[in-house]
Amino acid sequence: MKNKNLKQSLFQSQWLMLLLITILISVFTAIANPRFLAINNIMNIFEQIAVSGLVAAGATILIISGNFDISVGAIIGLACCTNALLINQGVNGFVASVAAVAVCMVCGLLNGALAILFKAPSFIITLATTSVYKGIGLFATKGVIQTVYGKFDTLAFTKIGGVIPLSFVISLLGFVVVFIILNYTQIGRRIYAIGSNEKSAFLSGVRITENKLLFFMLNGFFVGIASVLLLSRVGSALPSSGAGLEMTAIGAVVIGGAPISGGQGSAVGTFFGVLLLGLISNVLNILGVNPYLQEIASGVIIILSLGISALRFKVLSR
Amino acid sequence: MEQILELKEINKSFAGIQVLHNVNLTLHAGETVCLVGENGAGKSTLIKILSGAEKPDSGSITLFGRTWSSLHPSQAMELGVATIYQDVDLVDTLSVADNIFQGAEIRKNGIFIDRKKQEEKAGEILHALNMAIRPDVLVETLSPGQKQNLQIAKALHKKAKILIMDEPTASLGEDETKALMELIDRLKHDGIGIIYISHYMDEIFRVGDRVNVLKDGYSVSERQIGEVTQESLIREMVGRDASNYYRKGNFSTGDQALEIRGYARGNLVKNVSFTVSHGEVLGLGGLVGAGRTELVRMLFGADPKESGQMFLNGKEITPVDPKDAIKKGICFVSEDRKGEALFLDRSVKENISVAKNEGSFFLNLAKEKELVDHSIEQLSIKVFSREHDAGKLSGGNQQKVVIARWLAMDGEIYIFDEPSKGVDVGAREEIYRLMEELVKRKKIVIMVSSTMPELISMSDRIAVMKDGALSTVIPADEAQEDELLKWYMGIK
Repeated sequence: MKNKNLKQSLFQSQWLMLLLITILISVFTAIANPRFLAINNIMNIFEQIAVSGLVAAGATILIISGNFDISVGAIIGLACCTNALLINQGVNGFVASVAAVAVCMVCGLLNGALAILFKAPSFIITLATTSVYKGIGLFATKGVIQTVYGKFDTLAFTKIGGVIPLSFVISLLGFVVVFIILNYTQIGRRIYAIGSNEKSAFLSGVRITENKLLFFMLNGFFVGIASVLLLSRVGSALPSSGAGLEMTAIGAVVIGGAPISGGQGSAVGTFFGVLLLGLISNVLNILGVNPYLQEIASGVIIILSLGISALRFKVLSR
Repeated sequence: MEQILELKEINKSFAGIQVLHNVNLTLHAGETVCLVGENGAGKSTLIKILSGAEKPDSGSITLFGRTWSSLHPSQAMELGVATIYQDVDLVDTLSVADNIFQGAEIRKNGIFIDRKKQEEKAGEILHALNMAIRPDVLVETLSPGQKQNLQIAKALHKKAKILIMDEPTASLGEDETKALMELIDRLKHDGIGIIYISHYMDEIFRVGDRVNVLKDGYSVSERQIGEVTQESLIREMVGRDASNYYRKGNFSTGDQALEIRGYARGNLVKNVSFTVSHGEVLGLGGLVGAGRTELVRMLFGADPKESGQMFLNGKEITPVDPKDAIKKGICFVSEDRKGEALFLDRSVKENISVAKNEGSFFLNLAKEKELVDHSIEQLSIKVFSREHDAGKLSGGNQQKVVIARWLAMDGEIYIFDEPSKGVDVGAREEIYRLMEELVKRKKIVIMVSSTMPELISMSDRIAVMKDGALSTVIPADEAQEDELLKWYMGIK
């Protein structure tokens, strides 16, 4: 009986499984190449996952609520361009960043509003707005790369205690905020409720429209912070700067145990999803795997984790 | 006659809740044993154990003299146990003959299926059973009764000695039911043992040799059919007299505090006005589609309306949406529990506290736990823990969770739409007690019900709706079922 409980609790939390896998991979890699365990390398992983982490943190909220925003890659591109254009106009970096975050929140809000107005799945709406936002970015920059080398790299290169990258700490804070929202606030309960059953939520006194808009805006906020970190690290902006981040984020949320249909999921799960994806790409690098094959690997990881989820549900429903 | 099956002291629990307690069942060759009990009494679980779909926690299964602790589905089939389900076991797009020989096809040269020979043999089998089914037609063209016959034929072809029939007449017409009864007689004559599950008393008395009553997972009795009557069976199933429907006391203050004035929307609801007093249950009766659900949803602010105002103690409180309604003390238990009341993949805790949590930004988790534990205890909701998924509960417990959500809100006005739909008799009574508790505390209750005894016994007054309009309001103690029905149909 006690054994069964242990098995149950292990299967109950996806993040425990992910932690286990993370440790396993780390141990094997460290044996194959001790360089993996160097502080530098580990901090490198953290730095790598800072941006995608924030995007995934926001996506956790949306996906649990049963929504999607696949335009976040384009939104990040637009925000990076806005930010860079403003800085190059001589605007203070902080003010420009606030503007970039605002752009992201407005774009998110627009996505939500359109999805609600046309009663269309947000997946489809944001597929359409992706090209709108990309187009605006291209129009504003005339397709020319906007460089801010040396003007906006404090965020990316600051290390706390000379070791821990500030960007990772910011990303971690983002997860803490999402964790608190999901577990300790009324908004969190609304996110789960709307994702689980919108009609029930409505009849329980949850205002659906307002809350969905709020979720999209919250997602926009996290995406905005991510765009600021990204610009600081890369030093230049293109409308395509954030391309692909939406899929990494959705992948991480799904790996973290949230079903695509919504209603379930956790901040901790997503965090380990992001960490696992970052770890894998680092490990493949360290082991000298062909970069093209690395792409395949990240896809396979998502498929594997879906398999683990399915297995979990099977064990739990026994 | 030879005993072919004995289930002995079977125990089974799911997620810590025991659904079978030392249940016994025996069956002889050529005998029909009827298994009866309320929804959730454990009949299906017992059948699943016999057919190998579930493993018992303890107990033994003796088949034809050999004893097993549990069975595997394919093993049960080999031993001659066949369950006749509705539809599910047949392939619609294959012919009758193909279905009978499925998995054991007759082959030509070891590779190709010999259709002709299969159809010939299938014809013989069906003919021997007196079934008027052509072996070469597709299964999808058969009637529900024919499909059931085909399943029986298929099971017998596979040398089944024990047939389990779970509500076999649920989708059958009168003639088909009669034909099935005759078939069962023939099967009995051929020495087949049958376990027959049904809610229909006349069928039980028609085909049964013995009756086995299950209640709350316990074997209550096992008697010869001659020893029981309808009344005695119902008494054993529910543990009390059937005539003794719940009797609610009278707590109405007669103050007519709630006034519903001129609610209307198109053809669905036409200018409905009425009043309800504190401590009163106003029952809304009528045929399905009379506009009752539409009306109460409008009252709760869930659906748009063209006109209508609501006054409590002379003050207007017409809600604009459910959130507003809840703030004004109106609570609504929907008729569609799974579709629009529960969050099936969320915990009992979240399901209960969802409306309550709409008050403050940060949750008070300790207080929430206290509230939920109190609710679970107060309503005796059968759960393993408060983190249990609501979707895994039985219908009655799910309904209690929904009611607990609204009791926690301590509203003024409670609207119940079909409060006992899909709820077993035991839980139904508890729900009635909770409703009575509300009116004792001088709450205002509006109840939509399509069950006449419920409407008459639980209401103080009954408002009848027909085609969207309120046709009459009558005191419940003067209401007769036949009179009400005349109002429903507009004969009066």
